[in-house]
Amino acid sequence: MKVLKIVPERCTGCLRCELACSYMQTGTFQPAKSVIRVSAFEGHTSYAPYTCFQCAEGWCMTACPVGAITISPAGAKIVLDDQCVGCKLCTLACPYGTIFYNPDTRKAFKCNLCGGDPACASACPTQAILYEEADVADWLGDFAAARGEPRLLALAGTGGR
Amino acid sequence: MPTRHVIVGGGTAGHNAIVTIRQEERGEASEITLVSDERPYSRMVLPYYLGRTIAESHVYTATPARLAQLGVTTQLGRRAVGLDPRAGKLTLDDDTVVEYDDLLIATGSSPVRPPIPGVDGPGVHSFWTLDEARGVVAEIKPGSHVVMVGAGFIAFTILNSILALGAKLTIVEIAPQILPRMIDRQGAELVEAWLEKHGVKIRTSATLTAVERRNGRRRLRMKAGGDLDADVVIMATGIRPNLEWLQGSGIRVNRGVLVDDHLRASVPNVYAAGDVAEGRDRVTGEPDVHAIEPTAMEHGRVVGANMAGRDVAYRGSLLMNIVGVCHLDVASFGRWDDPKAEVVAAVRPERPAYRKLLFHGDRLTGAMLLGRADDVWTTNDVGMLKGLVQTGVALGRWKEHLRRNPFDIKSAFVASRTTARLLPETVLGRPSATPGIVATTRT
Repeated sequence: MKVLKIVPERCTGCLRCELACSYMQTGTFQPAKSVIRVSAFEGHTSYAPYTCFQCAEGWCMTACPVGAITISPAGAKIVLDDQCVGCKLCTLACPYGTIFYNPDTRKAFKCNLCGGDPACASACPTQAILYEEADVADWLGDFAAARGEPRLLALAGTGGR
Repeated sequence: MPTRHVIVGGGTAGHNAIVTIRQEERGEASEITLVSDERPYSRMVLPYYLGRTIAESHVYTATPARLAQLGVTTQLGRRAVGLDPRAGKLTLDDDTVVEYDDLLIATGSSPVRPPIPGVDGPGVHSFWTLDEARGVVAEIKPGSHVVMVGAGFIAFTILNSILALGAKLTIVEIAPQILPRMIDRQGAELVEAWLEKHGVKIRTSATLTAVERRNGRRRLRMKAGGDLDADVVIMATGIRPNLEWLQGSGIRVNRGVLVDDHLRASVPNVYAAGDVAEGRDRVTGEPDVHAIEPTAMEHGRVVGANMAGRDVAYRGSLLMNIVGVCHLDVASFGRWDDPKAEVVAAVRPERPAYRKLLFHGDRLTGAMLLGRADDVWTTNDVGMLKGLVQTGVALGRWKEHLRRNPFDIKSAFVASRTTARLLPETVLGRPSATPGIVATTRT
């Protein structure tokens, strides 16, 4: 199964993935409606995109009381808009925080892998987002742990820390 | 002879058990009998039916066609009245006796009303079953004054729908705060202020003494603060597990049917799930009744897998609730009210936004979140709080980060490698199937 593989070391924080995603998902350029979100690691000039892992449990899918979340041919857990009543149980159940609720449409929404051709991966100029055969993994954990707390970098010759 | 499974109750737990049996069983198909006094539907979506954003047809989970596809024999409109675990026999209210090899008690819970004169009279409703929902739907008109007695989770799930129907709403709560079993005092005050700004009248520490009829309306007699006249009264004063029918069965009952880590009751071949079960709380490790939809679902699936012959232990259920009122979202997880926990909280009353994190050592054991819908669903860390409580991941130095900024959950979530802890975890020990998929071994 192809998955979205994130290589955070390559991310420049350009946010093209968020724009591409929101355009593909909603028809508008509004990063707040993107289902891939880039985190900035302050003081480290580091960035990393984060999105649904299409996890084996599918916590959102099993939590849905009306069966409105199903598995697409691309292997994505997808929300069926005409079935979703907007009860938010999926957002409560997903322990990754990768299914969203849209207060305007009153529906849940999440990464659907764009039907098998994810716009975020196509848009990424540095191949920090790949769509390829792989076992899903914690792409960001080590990267984030190594970056730790925000800190200001010392300038050479200033005597700063 | 195929195994005979009997499922008593067609709510979330029973429905999930049936589907999971069919997904998990191998070889010869078993016999499944569903006993339910109502047609199976999802209680969770009744508020949306009340608000007219979905049709009544949308609430049904296992339709007759679906039950036929699942190969389920039904005893609908029938109520279980007695269980004899030694003989493996269930008695129904029409004296039918159903024999079983294993049985699931999933009889859910019922609303309770306080013993107050007039609360059982006409025009006074509960909002729990589909039938009761129909009654409320028929009565609320634009301009109706609705008085809701009880300010718990159930009351709050229908608040938006009542307002959307153009009704005026007053909430009466005997406790000093709203949502007393979901959020703390500070959070409750923020919600109360928000609701009052949106035209909802709230009376806390208010005791109802009688409901009387007055000119076709209802008059609610209050102990103090003046009486209330209402067109529609909704009693949302709590629920209790449906256990009475188990008297004499020898099954150990506390607040619910006590179950082990496989959700087995104290007698052979009997399971319990959902609102009626008292099973392991994942955070405390202690038995508790979690009368919430996600617990009913997980319980039902675990029982279904075990009934299908697998050996699936359950790690326990996580208490969690979320409710949105007038575009303000409120959620809590785990032991959000633990007096022994170390508490980190931050509030921005003007927005409003409120976070409360509860720790034991460097592990998150409970959390509370409150914020405007636009804020909550833009940061979208509701689920991450759940992930942190669910895994109990050691946060190490990220605890200090959360102490400084309880609003920045994501950094701590990602850097504590919570994802790596979560990815291998499944409830049934294998990837979940699409809800509609049933094993093809069945003929």
